[in-house]
Amino acid sequence: MTQEQRSGRPDEDRSRLSRIDAPLRAPFLLLFGSAALWLMLSSALSLLTTLKALPAGIGSYEWFAHGRLEAAARNAFVYGWAGNALFAINLWLLAQLGRFEIRNGWMASVGGLFWNLALTWCTGSVIVSGPGAYALLDFPVGAGPVLAASFALAGLWPVVAYAKRPTGHNFAAQWFVVGASVTFLLAFLLAQAAVFWAPASGVVQAVAHSWYVRTVHLLWLGGSALGLGYYFVSKVLARPLHAYYLASVAFWTYFLFAGWTAPASLIGSPVPLWIQSIGVVGSMMLLVPVLLIGLNLLGALSRDGGWFRAWNSTSLRFISIGIVSLLASLAIAAWASDRSVNAGLRFTSFAEGQNLLLLYAGVTFCVFGAAYAALPRVSGGRWPSAAAIHVHFWASTLGAAGAAFAAFAHPSAHGFISAVSAALLLIGHLAFASTAFAALLSGVPAGESQPAHD
Amino acid sequence: MNDRNRHYDRNRPRQGSPGPEGFSDGRLVEVHSQIARDKQEPAQGFSMTPILVVFLFCALGFWAGLYLTRNSRGFSASAFDLNAPVAFASAGPVVFEPDAAKGQTLYLANCAACHQPTGAGVPGAFPPLVKSLWVAGDEKRIIKIIIAGMAGEVEIDGVKYNGNMPNVGVALKDAQIAHIATYVRSAWGNAAEPVMDASVAAVRKEIGARGQYSPKEVLDAHPLGN
Repeated sequence: MTQEQRSGRPDEDRSRLSRIDAPLRAPFLLLFGSAALWLMLSSALSLLTTLKALPAGIGSYEWFAHGRLEAAARNAFVYGWAGNALFAINLWLLAQLGRFEIRNGWMASVGGLFWNLALTWCTGSVIVSGPGAYALLDFPVGAGPVLAASFALAGLWPVVAYAKRPTGHNFAAQWFVVGASVTFLLAFLLAQAAVFWAPASGVVQAVAHSWYVRTVHLLWLGGSALGLGYYFVSKVLARPLHAYYLASVAFWTYFLFAGWTAPASLIGSPVPLWIQSIGVVGSMMLLVPVLLIGLNLLGALSRDGGWFRAWNSTSLRFISIGIVSLLASLAIAAWASDRSVNAGLRFTSFAEGQNLLLLYAGVTFCVFGAAYAALPRVSGGRWPSAAAIHVHFWASTLGAAGAAFAAFAHPSAHGFISAVSAALLLIGHLAFASTAFAALLSGVPAGESQPAHD
Repeated sequence: MNDRNRHYDRNRPRQGSPGPEGFSDGRLVEVHSQIARDKQEPAQGFSMTPILVVFLFCALGFWAGLYLTRNSRGFSASAFDLNAPVAFASAGPVVFEPDAAKGQTLYLANCAACHQPTGAGVPGAFPPLVKSLWVAGDEKRIIKIIIAGMAGEVEIDGVKYNGNMPNVGVALKDAQIAHIATYVRSAWGNAAEPVMDASVAAVRKEIGARGQYSPKEVLDAHPLGN
């Protein structure tokens, strides 16, 4: 990469970028705006679940039973926040990487609209009539097809953007995001079929459910977050990833083994031994992609003051924390799948801590980081306040650390520390969402967008 | 990043890096495509990394095969418990062997909620099992308490415990109680003999169906220190 190769290109990129970004504006506004609203709802509900006693006025209503609030918060977080945000961010990312000028972007908006309507229905029904037996599948049966159809409209755009890329070149971020998007739809349809439409026998239902949950966590959410990691680490540091030629092995082994880790959550339950053992083996084999991804991303970050530069870039600061947490949670999962270790952890809040590390400190931090880069580009606005960004970063980081401490290390202080952490997270999310709305709405409408300037 | 949102980044590097611009997206994809095609980063010598990765992959795969074969009971659909004895057609009667590891698993599931995983108990309520004379010595004492439970005040090392232990052992098999007793009698500084399932069966038969013991009743039959 010589100097003259690099100069000259940015201008060409600029004019193309605004043509790519402008038509993304409407769907991005709708999807990311809803994501921010769901994030606030979910963190408010989580705060309620950490309080040992609700205020007398509302504590007596069954709508506010702990199980219902917890299930509603989980659905709002996974499908509402992470789902909507990834629709927007994944579409944006693959449009950038594939030079894709979206046409018929209204389809993404319609899909997002129905996704959110169905989700509102689901969340309402969890609160009003109680959650079902299967976490993350506790919807009214009729909502399944609506969610699947709206995902097909809103969530498969990365595949289109990848298929229509003008050059034969491709990059690891594209594989992860395309894989994540396709896998979710398949897993969702299969899980709906195995659990609801044509219910399999009891044990198979439990296995199918655990597989679905793990696929959503590791492949849809985790895979998308890894895609963001591959993109932003290389882009912000302006250097190729370390040992990049191993990235394709990392990708295939990750997608191959992640699904097989599911039965590790069933160790010790009345599921045939060989299925449990496959979960153990899957969790250990997942260490191969964990190592390779660590080599690619953390290797690049560890050279020439990369961590320092990551800290000084808002996007990469969030994303490098996210990648480290995500990889750490997978390594811990491999350790915890050992049968004798698992026997001691099975009925503790350990799994809660694992989910927090994976879904919050991992995936959500990556989405935050990507949002700080993507929102201004798509909306044409600016982040209005540096102070709000600092509040968001520190409140989220300390809140996540406190919640992880409560779940992993200190069950006796659980109540108090959890409540304080949940309050911190809510503060951070309010700071994030309010500035995100300001950034989304402050920009120029798509019709008047002028070529980007710097 | 060549983004306009960079204005809030404090202390961002002003020099020394390959331009404050970062990679443009087109450049990013192109460079990595090239590396993936050439399988070697430019200006890099021979690398051990791929060989180590292949080695690790093979080692993990080998381990995975061994683990699956040993922990799947022949992929039988009706095998659920790794600790269940395997029935062989010609093996004759199964010989019992007290196993502290199995005992630990059972202890964590059945006893640790009160006596704590460390065996330290909870002052005032649940007596400790660490270096306890109640645990050591005559094995009938611990077996009786596990099977029938014990209610009443006990004083250990000057601390009083007013506990109410239910008849946990009624729901457990002789072998399971023997494993638990063996584990408790060998852990946390205790060093007493292992317990056989036959002893448990004998005690169970001797005491029959009965309510909880009082501490006095147990001590009269089995004084501490033997």
